[in-house]
Amino acid sequence: MDSHINTPAFSLFNVEYNLLIAEELLRLRLSQMIINEKIKNKEFKIPIHLALGHEAIAFSVEASMEPADQLVLPHRNLHYNLAREKSLKPIVEEFLLKETGLAKSQLGSMNLANKEKGIVYTSSILGNNLSVATGLALGKKVRKENGIVLVVLGDGAMEEGSLYENLVFLRSNQLPSLVIIENNQWSLATKIEERRCGIDLKKFADSLGIKFEKLVGNDPYQYFSRLKELKEYSMSNNLPVCIEVELATLGYWHVNTEGYAPPGRFINYHAGAAPTVNLLEWPLIEESTDDPLFVLKKYFDENQLRKISAKVLLSLQEELL
Amino acid sequence: MKYLEHINQLIKIKVSEADNLVIFGQNVSAGSCLSGLTRNLKVKENSMIINTPNCENTLCGIGFGLMLNKVSSIFFMKQQDFLLLGIDHLVNTYNFIRRENPSASFTIMFIVVDQGYQGLQSSLNNLGDFCSIARIPGFAITNKVDADEIIGAHLISPGFRMIGISQRLFNEELSDLPLIHCNEDKTLFQYFEGKDATIVCFNLSFSYGLELHQQLKDKNLNASLFSVNAVTPIKWEEIIRDVKQTKKIVVIDDSKSMNLSCDNFLAHTLDECELKSKIIIKRELLEDWLWPNSDKLNLDYAEIINKLKQTTHQNEP
Repeated sequence: MDSHINTPAFSLFNVEYNLLIAEELLRLRLSQMIINEKIKNKEFKIPIHLALGHEAIAFSVEASMEPADQLVLPHRNLHYNLAREKSLKPIVEEFLLKETGLAKSQLGSMNLANKEKGIVYTSSILGNNLSVATGLALGKKVRKENGIVLVVLGDGAMEEGSLYENLVFLRSNQLPSLVIIENNQWSLATKIEERRCGIDLKKFADSLGIKFEKLVGNDPYQYFSRLKELKEYSMSNNLPVCIEVELATLGYWHVNTEGYAPPGRFINYHAGAAPTVNLLEWPLIEESTDDPLFVLKKYFDENQLRKISAKVLLSLQEELL
Repeated sequence: MKYLEHINQLIKIKVSEADNLVIFGQNVSAGSCLSGLTRNLKVKENSMIINTPNCENTLCGIGFGLMLNKVSSIFFMKQQDFLLLGIDHLVNTYNFIRRENPSASFTIMFIVVDQGYQGLQSSLNNLGDFCSIARIPGFAITNKVDADEIIGAHLISPGFRMIGISQRLFNEELSDLPLIHCNEDKTLFQYFEGKDATIVCFNLSFSYGLELHQQLKDKNLNASLFSVNAVTPIKWEEIIRDVKQTKKIVVIDDSKSMNLSCDNFLAHTLDECELKSKIIIKRELLEDWLWPNSDKLNLDYAEIINKLKQTTHQNEP
């Protein structure tokens, strides 16, 4: 196990804050489920990439950010935008391409940024956002500004040469930054073992003198606690940190339509509607640690979570009225 | 002073005056400093010069990231060909950044290898191709006047642009030229005004047009001389007004591209002007066009002058 997480992080926070974290994870999940229902109803013209199952890292990144920090995102960015904006309606209206949308209908989904909330750049091109993040980090150094740049990419983008180029540049110029790789194993419809050899990110980062950390288990309390420590390390040493997050993008299904594909064939969720996911008051999708909501059951009674979830869902539905 | 020395002097002055400026690129302050282009650059204490690793794609993105954080920068590049690695940023990243009219400056300045001795992987000589893919402002420096105007106005100013200089002209002695007209954007320059023909130069072909102008003058023919320093979109009114007077045009475009800037101009001119003579000089790419060679544009000055003289004499009473 490469993970350095062994802090009983849950006990570090007070009861009220722990409950707020649980509530926030439920909000991220339910917000996406509401959007999923709208995708199913064909309310949007733009492509949307849900991130069901990515809520723990999105919450932790958001919670660890200070006002001077900057976040740079890839095409699958909904979870971070929901976490930073703290509101569903402006995002839904952006997806509906309304003037009242978060970016006044200029950015849609795959480029959705939110400068006021520190999301300064979002790219739909794999690996493209890394060098913009590097430029932002260099800009902070030139202007002697506080804060750190956090950039998120997926395991598909980490195959691009851009990752190599940027880690070399960040390390060479001593630029504090967190490079966060969400590894869901999939790039469109191919799993890692179907498309390439393995990449040992730890060895790769080690070879450049860059600290590496692997986050596993979808525990928001541990992730948050550890991200804060890694941020402090990065800023106090003026060095980048490479973080790999093991997760699953939930919403997969098995084909049962004759003539479309062999019945029973596994289909990984990539974009658009997640047809097997339905909006429910209790939005757990998977009974495993692949689902961050399942992890919450380690800390809370399920009935308590169900009550919070019902309250959150009602609030979101009222927001959209 | 020689072409490259003059450009270097202009850059030195501009960067020494700028605050919070990042100058970056491979060997910008090492070795020959890009054949002398970036030699002896000095910046203020709040600025920096970075000799970077070889990562052109990343370097393009870094310039845009700096822009987002309100830091101006110049990326100097040894060859325009290397910029092919950064096209994603020139199009996709720039399209994101340009929405908000950034206050910082980002300039990519590169050497266009417009002599062919470096071989087939250094044969891309058209600045306009890069500019047209995302309608990026781009400027070709061809002489002392446009160097002064373009570097003065654009090297460090809000927004993004590319500036290309000619390797073929590196050691050419620069002469003083009159400037009759230069538009606000520094994309169109007129150097001479004459009644016998209108010479319009594109890409890095100005020196050919200047030579033709001189030879015409030796034969008592006065031609107007224009240079188009940026690709379309550009307003052609200034040139078209002149062509309507002379009714004779000589268009010179030294680019090897299929997508020539002069074609847009010709479409407008042929639509709006009645011409008595039109001479269009483009590259004829023979089977050896990718082999190492001088890459010079072959102009038969005597034949061009003869053609213009014939139509000039036809005009006489």
